[in-house]
Amino acid sequence: MISLRKIWTVAERDIRMFLRYKFLLIMRAIWFVSQIALFGLVVNRMFRPDVQTAVGGNYFNYYAAGIIITMLYSTSVFIGYDIYEEADHGVIEYLLSVPVSRKELVLGRSIGGGLRSFLYVGPMMLFVLYLIGVSSFLQLLVALLSLFLFTFGVAGFSITLAVSIKSSDRFDILMGVTDALIVRLSTTLYPIAFMQYYAGIASVNPLTFAADLFRWGAGIESTALTPPLLAVLGIVVFFSVFTFLGIFLHERRLEGGGWQ
Amino acid sequence: MVSMNLADLFIMAIVYTNMVNPTITKEYVSYFVFFAPGLTITALFAAAFMIGREINMEVRREISHYMLSLPVKRWELAVGRVLAGGLRGIIYMAPLLATTLIITYIYTSVFPSLLQLLTIVVALFLISIGTSGLSIALAVSTTSFEKYITARGVVYYVLFFCSTVFYPMDLIKSALPQLIFIAQYNPLSCGADLSRAFLLGNPPFTPVMLIDIALFALIFTSLAMTAYMKVTQK
Repeated sequence: MISLRKIWTVAERDIRMFLRYKFLLIMRAIWFVSQIALFGLVVNRMFRPDVQTAVGGNYFNYYAAGIIITMLYSTSVFIGYDIYEEADHGVIEYLLSVPVSRKELVLGRSIGGGLRSFLYVGPMMLFVLYLIGVSSFLQLLVALLSLFLFTFGVAGFSITLAVSIKSSDRFDILMGVTDALIVRLSTTLYPIAFMQYYAGIASVNPLTFAADLFRWGAGIESTALTPPLLAVLGIVVFFSVFTFLGIFLHERRLEGGGWQ
Repeated sequence: MVSMNLADLFIMAIVYTNMVNPTITKEYVSYFVFFAPGLTITALFAAAFMIGREINMEVRREISHYMLSLPVKRWELAVGRVLAGGLRGIIYMAPLLATTLIITYIYTSVFPSLLQLLTIVVALFLISIGTSGLSIALAVSTTSFEKYITARGVVYYVLFFCSTVFYPMDLIKSALPQLIFIAQYNPLSCGADLSRAFLLGNPPFTPVMLIDIALFALIFTSLAMTAYMKVTQK
């Protein structure tokens, strides 16, 4: 029987630990400001009128919404690096000895990893919503609930990879390559209609679902967006797969050491 | 970082090429060809800037005291650190420069002359050691980790995004007129535009590009060496 209280205890620990990563928190915040105040403003003037129409009239709003999803993704995956940090210091063995089941541990870590990302990006999200304007609070609520699931799914994805690989160097390389590709092969930066060779991959990318859902929630009217129902379904599938995969692998791979 | 740079070129730049107003990049063949030299600069800048983080950690943990116990003079240590940061940038950037040369040759059938190629390499080396110097100067300016990260982030991203690496100067003039001074004299802008001048013929080469880069390298290398020698003696 899974205890919600224990899951919350694990999640709360991960949320508190996040505040120690000052380098990440400060650099990501400055990156966000520079994207909105510098890159986004200039790049907005680079595109053809048909592109501006396709993205709902203003590429800057489209781009700002996408940046939020990039931030959510990049801060959620950090839980995987936490696991290696803990393996280095012998904390994994300590966690396995506490009266918390393996399932509760991985669920707590997924929720903690996702929730802390959401809390950190929250103020930036509010700022972007203020810039874009919100036309329907119900749509926005649906979008935000889906983004919650998205962050949990990303945390679960990172945990799954971390316990599967058990080598910090290989994990670093794999996450670096994945990060580079997953963001650029999605609609966080540009609509799928202009992605030509990459449109197929982008159409099944969970960041595409999250970005287009957030834009729909904020009221950006664009024919370029993924239908919201499809996007919600995509996020639910992503969350389910990586949460359950995370639980399965965590139970089988976490014991026995072997961390490199 | 390599995957990020290559993804920027072969994914982001290709998609942006489909979206960009052709009147903006007609002088450069296409956005993809315009961006390639800029990517070389971003790679060089990112790699050379990394040394500051290591030096800041050494200063905070007083590992610099161990460095002083080595049979290496202080000025040799300082020069070595600045040079190391610069060489890192050059080594990391070299394959991307080769990729840029191939791409521009495929699209324009033009290959720079030996003198032009040498000028590009020298300019990039100067940017690299200047960046390394800037990063080291920032790193030793404070022992507070939070202040260092903030200063580092602001300098890094302002130089990075307020330059012609991603977009031509005219766009920066229209979108961010308040920052045009930074963009014009930004060594990253000068480096990117100098490469484009020799590889694409646009913008036209002016000696100001080289002078700007040389001054940047001189000022920040000197500053970094002085500051590093002073801090290691504390």
